[in-house]
Amino acid sequence: MIVPQWATVSILLVVVVLAGCASTPQWPESRQPDAVGFKERHLLTEVPFYPQEKYQCGPAALATMLNSQGHDTDPDALVEKVYLPERQGSLKVELVAAARSHQLLVYPLEPELKDLLTEVAAGNPVLVMQNLGFGWWPQWHFAVVMGFDQTKNVVILHTDTRKAHEQSLRIFLATWQRADQWAAVMLPPDRLPATAKPLKYLTAASDLESTGQLDAARTAYSIAAKTWPDQPAAWLGLGNVAYQRSDWQAAAKQYSMMVERFPDMAAGWNNLAHALKKQGCDIEASAAAECAYQLDDTRFSGMIDAKQDTERKSRQCPQLQCPL
Amino acid sequence: MQSIRSYLRQVSIVMAFAMMMTTLWAVPASAAMVGTGEVLSEQRADIDRASLMTMLEKQEVKDVLASMGVSEAEVENRIQSLTPAELADFEQQLATAPTGEGVVGVIVLFLVIFIVTDLLCATNIYPFINCIR
Repeated sequence: MIVPQWATVSILLVVVVLAGCASTPQWPESRQPDAVGFKERHLLTEVPFYPQEKYQCGPAALATMLNSQGHDTDPDALVEKVYLPERQGSLKVELVAAARSHQLLVYPLEPELKDLLTEVAAGNPVLVMQNLGFGWWPQWHFAVVMGFDQTKNVVILHTDTRKAHEQSLRIFLATWQRADQWAAVMLPPDRLPATAKPLKYLTAASDLESTGQLDAARTAYSIAAKTWPDQPAAWLGLGNVAYQRSDWQAAAKQYSMMVERFPDMAAGWNNLAHALKKQGCDIEASAAAECAYQLDDTRFSGMIDAKQDTERKSRQCPQLQCPL
Repeated sequence: MQSIRSYLRQVSIVMAFAMMMTTLWAVPASAAMVGTGEVLSEQRADIDRASLMTMLEKQEVKDVLASMGVSEAEVENRIQSLTPAELADFEQQLATAPTGEGVVGVIVLFLVIFIVTDLLCATNIYPFINCIR
């Protein structure tokens, strides 16, 4: 089918006009009973500032985030970790990975202004990604939100070479939305983000675990287990961290606590079986493996890998109670 | 161009290595251990599935499905067999849907896209649909 040229042009025009009429930005309604009440103005004055050098907003923003959590690093040291000279920029994923390697838990926020402001109001600076160009000609930028002022209608950021720059809410929202409203807090694992939700937080903790930051992961899992005792993954995570450390006894203890709370979860029984086997509790290990098989016979075989060596016979084997 | 190519190769080597390392870490010692991330993605899928199911309860959605001649039980069956990735994708669409249009619009859009493409034999997501050709 041949589309006449005028049709293409008019469709393009309509798209451009539609894209232009974005709605006026608004502060989250704080009068609603369930909403978080913000003060008019918040400014995290103790967040350090590093002016970016040419193109290097990534290292500068990352240094701000790390050092606001008590680390001592400077943008120059981070340049080689997160800056790609050929691309003249940094990738989001590299900033996240670098923060994790500093034992910080990276919690990506829901793409909501309200969540961003809640974190700032709780004292947590927020790393944001912005697109200062157009959707089709992007110019990516990283900045750190460290305040806002509802009366002046501004968001306050450490950005490029400007310290505590007051950016109008309209401009901030427009540039942030063009970057899919990506925002994250980077916190020591013993501090829960103000907007933390259980599964998302546990996913962030398991990212620490899978990148080998076992200490940080364990701290985050314990906080999660205390905050949301109804989340099985927190207990499983604590067990898995101990298991990776070859601390079979601690692992078995955590898995036992997990199956006690969540007797229907086959994964807990399965991992318990492995930890018990390592510990030398052969009979109990078989019983746990059988239990996992009974709960989920498509996934577990009821057998433990025979090649695994038993380190030594243990006399302290737990009593198990399979729900089936 | 050549320089970009060689650069890409380096990046892909690094990425492949990084992925291999994370996989090795995630599955400690024995392949049969269940990783924390695995359980988490299952849980997320369960939640997504449950929220999709509650959407089916809406009268408007029922009406639209009925007018399309699709039975609710069949759609429920389909939802049960969606993979975690497909469910997450759907939740993403819901989250980015313009407010006001509401849930009905999106779920119907989702179903319509796949039902129509199935009818045209472009996809084979809903096996109960007989394709036109």
